[in-house]
Amino acid sequence: MRTVRLYFRLLGAHFRSLLEYEADFLILAAATVLMQVVNIVFLAALFAKVPALNGWTFWSVLMMFGAVALAEGVGSLFFDGMWSLAWQINRGQLDYFLVRPYPVALQSSSAAIGINGLSNIIMGAIMIGTALAHVDVAWTPWLALLGVVLLISSVVIKVSINLATNAVSFWLASPTPMFAFAMHQVGDLARFPLTIYPLALKAALGVVLPFAFIGFFPIAFLLDTGQSRWIGLLTPLVAAYCAGAAILIFKRGLRRYESAGN
Amino acid sequence: MRSYRALIRATARAALAYRLNLLLGLGAVLVQLIALLAVWQVILAQSPVNGFTWPQMRAYLLVAFAAGTVVSLMGDFRMAFRILDGDVALDLVKPIDYQRARFAEAIGGLWIEVVLIAVVVGVTLALTGGVDVPAGPGLALFIASMLLLVPLKFLIVYVSTLACFWTQNFMGVQWARLAVVNLFSGALIPLAFLPGWLATTAQWSPFAGLTSTPALIFLGRVDPGHGLVLVGVQLAWVLALWFGARLVWQAALRRLTVNGG
Repeated sequence: MRTVRLYFRLLGAHFRSLLEYEADFLILAAATVLMQVVNIVFLAALFAKVPALNGWTFWSVLMMFGAVALAEGVGSLFFDGMWSLAWQINRGQLDYFLVRPYPVALQSSSAAIGINGLSNIIMGAIMIGTALAHVDVAWTPWLALLGVVLLISSVVIKVSINLATNAVSFWLASPTPMFAFAMHQVGDLARFPLTIYPLALKAALGVVLPFAFIGFFPIAFLLDTGQSRWIGLLTPLVAAYCAGAAILIFKRGLRRYESAGN
Repeated sequence: MRSYRALIRATARAALAYRLNLLLGLGAVLVQLIALLAVWQVILAQSPVNGFTWPQMRAYLLVAFAAGTVVSLMGDFRMAFRILDGDVALDLVKPIDYQRARFAEAIGGLWIEVVLIAVVVGVTLALTGGVDVPAGPGLALFIASMLLLVPLKFLIVYVSTLACFWTQNFMGVQWARLAVVNLFSGALIPLAFLPGWLATTAQWSPFAGLTSTPALIFLGRVDPGHGLVLVGVQLAWVLALWFGARLVWQAALRRLTVNGG
């Protein structure tokens, strides 16, 4: 509990400094909203001419885009500091983190706040909400609860992949998180139904870096779309696996950390 | 003129040093190419949509990829940081024109982008089959359109980067530009798919010249006469933006404050 409270105090400090630059905040928020609006226009224009993509309708694909936006948004708003891990390692800034009585990974991830995450969370929630209002799901209390669990799991998966890919910086020693950023971009492929891709990409997005569990598999289960829907039920397990793997990779990497020296 | 040629040569040699920026810029365009190829292959396997067959759409997406990759190395980031840091003051004391100098740098980086485009287009064609190259006049128009694309894209990036004189937040400006260009250029989806009023707006905007115009000419979806008009629009925008950018630059300079050091 104390860990969580401290985490928000760390973030809060950055949030206050952010409010100093009101125009910047608005520009960034407007830009992310614009990006999502462009995505929605694209999907609407595409599905106006095509009824479905491998059984996936406009609303179900919109929901996948929304799930990815939401997971990304949580990653930016609450864990944006991960993206500066490479820089922190390169500059030897982890020295300070190591002497403080607080988990190093959390100190790193709270070192920045990505306010664009806020607009992504809102846009993602709107996309998911609108899609849910237009699809036919026989809701029961249990299914609703399961939906919430799946949503939380998908966010955990995205944040874990961010942590794991950024922790690779312990080995790469580059001052910019090139690898993590490239993987983040690959993750954008998973906004479309996995079934449209060739086998190698299916394996990459479903198993190696399980981006498909952020949107595709859990939504396929919820909306009863496509074959092997049961895989969506594995999402919480995949989330636990990703979180565990990310923490392990980070700890292994931290052991390799050498201060920059002063 | 000599000094600009020297800048072109220097950037051409430095291009490899900035391969990180290039890869980061290329990543997003490449991911979009792969995703859209997969989407359209599934959709068009059944029947043509809006008059697009699978080989046509594939050619369209490859032109969009080439157009998206060109002038991505220019280092708008470098220009932005120099403005934000105040290092731009050093550029101002040099006896060369700022806008032409940046354009020279953009041209210097072209060769490595062309190499990357050739590799990606070659691999895609090897994996999915060939494309029909347009006949004589169409091909000439396509080449003219692709050549005009270089100054056009440079100018759009350049003007949006000048926004750094007004805001600290280059990231937001860049994201907004990428989103607008992606939709209005037809890179995300051919303009024919958009609702009529939106398609018309996009068609006459400077952004259409960034993908739609060369791609439609390559596919032969516009006859040579209409193609000539579209290329003319491209040229008009290049001229308008070239002189418009100078006005923006003058307004920007009035805002510039550089702290001594």
